[in-house]
Amino acid sequence: MSPDVVLAIPALVESGALPPAAAPRLLRIARGELISVHAELRALLYAGVLLLTGGVGLLVRQNLDRIGPVAIATVLGLAAAAALTWVARVAPPFSWQEVPSPNLAFDYILLLGILLVAADLAYCEVQLGLPASHREWHLLIVAVLAGLAAFRCDSRIAFSLSLTSFAAWRGVALADAATSRAWGARAWDAAEAWRWNAIACGILFAGLGLALAHWRRKAHFEPVAVHLGCLLALGGIAARIDDPAWGAGLLLAGAALAGVAYRTRRFPLFAYGVVAAYAGLTRLLAGLSLDAALGCLWFGASSAAMIAGLLAVHRRMGRMKEPA
Amino acid sequence: MTPALDRADRAAAVRTAARSWRRAGIVDDTALAAVESSFPDDRVRAGAVFRVLLFLFTVIGVCGVLGFLAAALGGHDQALAGLAAVAGVALLALTELQVGALRRRQGGTEAATSLLGIGLLLAAAAWLLFEAGRMDAAAGVPVLCALAAALTGAAAWRWGYPLYAALGTAAALVTLAHLPAGRAVWIVLALAAAPALLRLSESPRLPPAHRSSAMAVLLVALGGLYVAVHVGSWEERIVERIGGRDPGPAPPAWLSSPQGKLLWWLAVAATALVPVLVLAAGLRRRRLPLLLAGTVAAVASLATCQHYLRLEPAWLVLTGAGALWIAVVLGLWRYLDAGPGGERGGFTAAPLLTDPRRQAALEVGVAVLTLQPEARGAGDEHPFAGGGGRSGGAGATGEF
Repeated sequence: MSPDVVLAIPALVESGALPPAAAPRLLRIARGELISVHAELRALLYAGVLLLTGGVGLLVRQNLDRIGPVAIATVLGLAAAAALTWVARVAPPFSWQEVPSPNLAFDYILLLGILLVAADLAYCEVQLGLPASHREWHLLIVAVLAGLAAFRCDSRIAFSLSLTSFAAWRGVALADAATSRAWGARAWDAAEAWRWNAIACGILFAGLGLALAHWRRKAHFEPVAVHLGCLLALGGIAARIDDPAWGAGLLLAGAALAGVAYRTRRFPLFAYGVVAAYAGLTRLLAGLSLDAALGCLWFGASSAAMIAGLLAVHRRMGRMKEPA
Repeated sequence: MTPALDRADRAAAVRTAARSWRRAGIVDDTALAAVESSFPDDRVRAGAVFRVLLFLFTVIGVCGVLGFLAAALGGHDQALAGLAAVAGVALLALTELQVGALRRRQGGTEAATSLLGIGLLLAAAAWLLFEAGRMDAAAGVPVLCALAAALTGAAAWRWGYPLYAALGTAAALVTLAHLPAGRAVWIVLALAAAPALLRLSESPRLPPAHRSSAMAVLLVALGGLYVAVHVGSWEERIVERIGGRDPGPAPPAWLSSPQGKLLWWLAVAATALVPVLVLAAGLRRRRLPLLLAGTVAAVASLATCQHYLRLEPAWLVLTGAGALWIAVVLGLWRYLDAGPGGERGGFTAAPLLTDPRRQAALEVGVAVLTLQPEARGAGDEHPFAGGGGRSGGAGATGEF
């Protein structure tokens, strides 16, 4: 509801800025006589999927012995099949370009189907007596399945599930390698594995996103991959910020990202880069063992400089008119 | 709020609407340009990302300068309180300068200086009350909360920040909870103010920011009403605890008396009724904030029901609730979609003027928030945890 827009619409129609045919519907929206609950229904569906899959997880965990493996696996399989059959029935034909979702529930039923398949698969793996050291492969299988579903059904949600499952697979796999010392005597601990996993996955995801955009194959997936990739890579570097060398690395990586994002006008990526570069620079200065007062002075002066720089950059980007 | 700021906010509302029309293909670029020239912007604004960055660095910078000055003053309590008071006033004056003469709006820096100014003044007042005045918490907290309500209320009125209106209402509720009949006051005030606040939130005479502030106050007041009548809050004497009183053991002994039982059943009825009434008001007035508040309250009431009825087993409750939830949402979608013109009663499941970029950004945000690729050793015990993960997003928890 916006009384100001209600007042403005007749004037805009009169001045010719607004087509008269569109005015009645826009007036209804502005008066609050027509409300879209599209986003709210999507959010509620998402919450429902989470509730249901949470319940399925508990079902399997609590009734492993009581119900029996065949019954559980069958029920999960049937539920997943029902969800995915519905998805297959209504899914639009495949295209490398963005395809409008056939309906509001499509993405969420697909997500539900994938999560149920993942639960069923994991359950079967346990029942087959797969050694714990091989169970991380489950995450890779889920990542591949979700990735295939994402491309076939044009689902960004499934694509993000695929990427995060892939990152989790690398994390678990590297941690397992560290635990078993499979790579020799080198001192790989879980934290180290996590960091390198994050950096490598971040670079891989960002590269994947850029490749998708470059070859115009599901180019609209690019933001998901690039954002996740940048955050993972910067997070991986920042995790070792106690080491000045990694602080320098964070400064360089952040500055590079901010520079590229500035040139391509990617504002969220610019923000990641600026914050990372500032954190890296601050870490380097912390190595100078400044006393508390000088440290505070640094924060005051550097922030003032950052604000001045940001305002200058913002003005140059020509974005001083209206918020995004 | 100054008339100039009022005009700027109203023009911004029209420009924002015009951009949504352009995204929906209702108008072309020429029409959008015509709207923007008819409703020009005389304010200095920043995009969302720059706004966050400017806010962040303003907070860091001011804190850094204050830390430096505090170190220079030697860290004496009295000097620090004086510094906080002076800096608070200076920051509020700086906010007024930015919003007024410098014509900043949605720029990040003015929001940061106003927030820090209010925070510092409250910190100085806390020192004055608890250290210099040696006031105990029972007497000092309501005074401090009343001051917080006054400061945030004035800031919301002067600069048009709905968040401050919400915070001010919450602070006022805490103050009122210290009254002997605090719970009753929460109930009566919310019921009495709700119709007026709802009208104010739709009033064309108020600037857009004040309309949003009225809605924010209404939502917090309704939250207070729900807490005041909620059966669990009533048993645990939560409002009385917020009011700083020792309510004794929970549930109170008098609950077993016939009068206590009657009150208990009234609280049960109110716990069920408030969400229904809020949802009904949202449907009747077609106000999304009320519908969302009613939904949240309904979920809380259902969870309360589960708590008292002790429905078991948990997996069945969760699975059933999830399946029912999905079925209800799908049913609602079908119902709305099957209506004439894809709408019923003024509600539609179609996106209308929804910004697809914002929706995509939300999906990315959810994926980022649920990302937990933390490694875990293979030797860890994990017999089974189904689900493949969480989210829009994410298995990715490394649970297998």
